[in-house]
Formats: sequence, C-alpha cells, structure tokens
Amino acid sequence: MLEINNLHATIEGADKQILQGLSLTVRPGEVHAIMGPNGSGKSTLAYVLSGRDGYEVTEGSATLDGEDLLELEPEERAAAGLFLAMQYPVEIPGVSNMYFLRQAMNSIRKARGEDEISAGAFMKLVKERAGLLGVGQELLKRDVNRGFSGGEKKRNEILQLAMLEPKIAILDETDSGLDIDALRTVADGVNRMRSPERGFLIITHYQRLLDYIVPDHVHVLAKGRIQKSGDRSLALDLEEQGYGGVLGAEFAEVVA
Amino acid sequence: MSALRNRTIEPVPAFAEALERLRGEAAGSSGRALEQRNAAFERFQALGVPTSRVENWKYTNAASFANRPFALAPRGTVDSSLIIPHFAGGHKARRLILVNGRTIPQFSHLGGLPAGMTVRPLAQVLAETPELVDRTSVNDEPEHSFEALNRALVEDGAWISLEDGVALDEPLQVISILTEAESAFMTHPRHVIRLGKDAKLRLILTTVALGQADSLMNQVETVEIADGADLTIDRTLEQGQGRSAITRSRFVLGSRSRLQQTTASIGGSLIRHEMEARLRGTHSEAILNGLMMPRGTEHVDTLIRMHHEMPDCQSDQFYKTVADDRGRAVFAGKIFVHKDAQRTNSYQKNDSLLLSDDAEIDAKPELEIYADDVKCSHGATCGDLDPASLFYLRSRGLDEALARSMLTFAFTGEVLERIADESVEHIVRRMILSRLPGGERLAELG
Repeated sequence: MLEINNLHATIEGADKQILQGLSLTVRPGEVHAIMGPNGSGKSTLAYVLSGRDGYEVTEGSATLDGEDLLELEPEERAAAGLFLAMQYPVEIPGVSNMYFLRQAMNSIRKARGEDEISAGAFMKLVKERAGLLGVGQELLKRDVNRGFSGGEKKRNEILQLAMLEPKIAILDETDSGLDIDALRTVADGVNRMRSPERGFLIITHYQRLLDYIVPDHVHVLAKGRIQKSGDRSLALDLEEQGYGGVLGAEFAEVVA
Repeated sequence: MSALRNRTIEPVPAFAEALERLRGEAAGSSGRALEQRNAAFERFQALGVPTSRVENWKYTNAASFANRPFALAPRGTVDSSLIIPHFAGGHKARRLILVNGRTIPQFSHLGGLPAGMTVRPLAQVLAETPELVDRTSVNDEPEHSFEALNRALVEDGAWISLEDGVALDEPLQVISILTEAESAFMTHPRHVIRLGKDAKLRLILTTVALGQADSLMNQVETVEIADGADLTIDRTLEQGQGRSAITRSRFVLGSRSRLQQTTASIGGSLIRHEMEARLRGTHSEAILNGLMMPRGTEHVDTLIRMHHEMPDCQSDQFYKTVADDRGRAVFAGKIFVHKDAQRTNSYQKNDSLLLSDDAEIDAKPELEIYADDVKCSHGATCGDLDPASLFYLRSRGLDEALARSMLTFAFTGEVLERIADESVEHIVRRMILSRLPGGERLAELG
C-alpha cells in the first residue's frame, strides 16, 4: 500500500540531507512504529509524505496504492487517502470544529467524485465517532483547537482521522505532551480505527505509546535512514539500552 | 505662506456654493445659527484641505478624494425593501433611518422609548434650539478642516439624549443609506449623542451605500458619556467604488463610565475614521476595536487619539487589517497620558494580514506619556497567512483557495467576537465572506 523507496530529502535552502535513502513498506492492516533520536528525520518523513512546503525530495519515491504521492498537492494526498495527525495542531478561531470536519469530509468526497454527505448523515456519524473517542459535544461546537488542552487537541486529531477514514494514517509524536490518562484515551481511539484495510505509521520518540498501540513492526530511524527493523521487542530493547546501545555508540543521542 | 500652501490646498468653490444654497433653507441657517455656519466656513477656508504634508494625513490623500465639485445630496428616499435587509438589533430595536444624511421619519421606528430618552432628527434641534448642539465641554474650536466644513454645511443627523439613570433595554440602530446618483454628491451629517449619569445605551451605527455613485460623506459625532454611563457601539461601514467617507468621532467620558465600540470598515474608495477619546473622570474605560478590509484600490484609514486625562482609567485599541489586491490600510493610534493620569492602563494592538504583494499597510503607533506610574503597550504585526496553518487545512483536504479564505476569515474572528450585538456580528460575518475568494463555499460560517 504505502511504498517508500530510497527516499532522500533536504530542507529547502539548506544543504543538509535529512532523509538519506529511507525505504519502507506498509501493507494494509499493519501498524508500523518509527522511533529515533532527535534530529533523525522522523518529522521530516511525516511532512515529506504529506506534502508540506519547505522540503525537497532529491531522490527516491513514495507511492500510495501505486499513485505517486510526491507529485500531489497536500489536499490531493488527503483525497488519495493519506492522513497526518500533527504534533502541533493549528487553532482556527471563528470556525467550529464540527463545521471544519464537514468541510474536510466534503472536500475529500468532492475530489473523489463522490456526493457530499448530507447534514443529517454527517451529524449522526460525527456524534457516533466522537462518542467512541470520548470527544464531548461541547468540543465539537468550539472553534477548531482553540483553547483546547494538549490532550483535547490530540483527541481531536484522532476524531478527524476517524471521520476521514484514510487508507494510511501517520501519527507524528501524538504522545508528546500527554499525561498517562490522555495517552490511554488517544491510544484507545487509534486502536478502534485499526482495520484490515488501513495502515498506520506511528512516529514516536518514546516506546510508552507502543504499550497501548501495539505495533506489528518497529523501525529505528537514525541519520536519515532506517538502521534497524524488528518486532515489538525492538522498542523494548531501545527503552532499556537506548539508541546507542541498540545501534552502536555513534548513534547515542547527544544530551545537551 | 508658502509653507502653509504646501500643507493645504484651497477648497474647490463647490463648498461655498453649497453654503449659499443652504442659507435660509436648511434648519438653523438664519440669525445666530447662520453666523456660526459662516464662521465655521471661514475657518474651513483658512485651514484649507490637508495634503499628505500634514502629519495626520500623511498616508491619505484627502484632497484627491474630498476636494472635488460635489453638489449637495439629492433629496428623496429609497424603497423600504432596500433598507430592511440592513435591520439589526432584533425586532424590538428602535431605528432612525437617514437617507443621504437626512432623517426619514416614515421609515424610522422610535416608539416606546423610556421617559427621559429622546431621539430626534438633528434638523429639528438645529431649527428650534441650535445652541444645544454645540457645547464647549466637547466642542473646542475645531482645528480640523472637515469638522469645520461639517459645522458649516450640516443639514441633519441623529440627536440622541438619555437623562440620568435612563437605560434603553433594546438596541437603537441608526441606519445611514447613501443612494445611487448620476452626479457626485456630498452630505455632512452630524450625530449628537449624550448619556447622562448612569445611563445605558447599545447603539448600532450602520452605513450602507446602495448602487453606484460618486459621493462624500463627511460625518461628525460628538459623544458625551457622563459619570457611570455605559455606551456600546457596533458600527459597520459598507460602501463601494467611488464612495468616500470621512468620519470624526469625539468621545468624552466621565468617571466610572464605559465606552466599547467595534467597527467593521468594509468597502469604499476612501474610508477615514478619526476618533478622539478623552477620559475626563477617574476609573473609566474606553475600548475601540476595529476591522479594516481594503481590496481593489480601496483605502481605509483609522486614526485614534486616546487621551488619558485623569488617574485610574483603562483603554484598549484593538484593530485588525486584511489588505488584498492594491488595497491600502492605515492605522495611526496614539496614546496620550496626561500628567495627572497616574495608574493608567492603556493598550494598543494592530495586526495586519497582507494577502497580495501590491497591498500596503501603514501602522503608526505612538505613545506620549507625562505621568510616571502607568502601564502602556503597543504592538503591530504584519504578515502573510501562517504556512503551518495553511498546510494543516490542506492536509485535511481543503484546496488552497478555500484554506486561504478560511484562515483569513479566522484572522478576523477576534474582532467579530467583540461585536456586542449578535445580529450585527452575523451581518459582518456575511460582509467578510462576500469579499473572500470562494467565500460562498464558507457561507455557513455567516
């Protein structure tokens, strides 16, 4: 489904290669976790895949069901079935969460040549999904992410995921800034969205999130490429031995 | 003399002709009232029309917009169906309707006002008791060309007066309609608004230009807010190509009084709004919020003079600007803290969004402080839409144009939510959306 092959990317205007030949395949139904030290290229990977400005792909490819992602605008990638749950969701004053969700859903439907969802059907769906994820009615009526706590913002990201039903969902440091209860709620939400048709790419710094969202595969990203892959136990090894211990001394995280 | 000539230019003869036409015809144009008009006109002639060499007019070329051969506004009215869509404040609101600066009693609804509250056409007051209109407490000798011109050529306006302790529960809306016309016209309305001690009023000031015309509206407002009184103003200006409006509002606040005004200036070749607020008692508060949205070749200019004359007062200026195409916006806000005004809290903020390379925003924040125990701040920002926000919306499937419009709308949100009256807020939302590319796709936000 998601095929990343020998991906090289730089930050525009800077010489430094951030991604240096990253390859990865996510098949339907699989949950992959990408772990890595600060500056290893984790967020760059998320942004390059979702089409944020400011990055330049110098080599390699990324396709979703055979479609070249790198040629598409961010909104076209969303329509193709890619979703990125962001580390820092943006606040949109004056636009209610509910309205935004419907605009997003209908934009994607329109791009796919489907009919817009009726107001009634949308309300039914959003209530159902929000209920499952523990997102209250009050949060739906508020402006998008405005004045939301860290946990509410992340839960809201997962609600968007649940509404947009992507083929592949990328979670960028979804656990950052969450206390243990909020982490559990968010993880429960993600687990509900797991299905045989959907792939997940979970980017995280710590293995804690993976106690709740159990991955099929764990990859260690360092120096712009995947240095090691394994099953869930690799995450536990990392927790115990650190990046240096697992990958060798040259990969030890620099502590400022 | 040459320096003076550079700073100002001589008014076109059309203004003198207008005064001639009003003489003996307009309310308050004979006897002593006429003498006052003549004196004001001489003052206008002596001051001249300011050019960009006058500091307060540096970014706004008043001469090219205002010093042209305008005739006095045509009489007559418009069909009520064109006015009704601009009703705001709910079905219980009282309304005073002006067309081209003259009150139209048959469209106005002023029944059931509380005892001690008067709303009248200013023309009546000018005819019967012109000495009531100008009071030295508010009206020092005008050193302002357009204010002097207004005093010379005023025909009508709104007279709103609340005695001590009087409150109107529902809003009062003053709707000023400017009509279409074949030839260029001008109007010089004057509003006098007086709130006695502990009086309370929610005022909605709506100015709308219908259709095409070349027009100049030169409006003066004198507003007295006595001790303990509370005035809320929601103001909208919606004009079009060829329309110029110069509005000068002078507020005087007593002790423990409060003024909150939120203005949306949307559309018009030239919109200039000058505000002068004088905090003349202790523990009073003045809040001036606003939104300016020039596009095309429109020019919107806000000038604020906030005078803290007494201790323990607060003021806040909060303006947002969205400039597109070759639109230009000016914000010049000045805070004066006089020497007795200890423990003043005064803030000013002006955030601007430039949506095109050819748009221009001039922000000129100023502080002049003569007291030592004060808290004052000012801040101005100017930029394009935040790329991270744009990416967030696009990553959720919204195309770039829609995402830009939604974020531009969101940028105006902080001003929208300061509008006191809900129906005015809805009107302004619709006005904003109608000016955004693809705004019709966001119609439900209206």
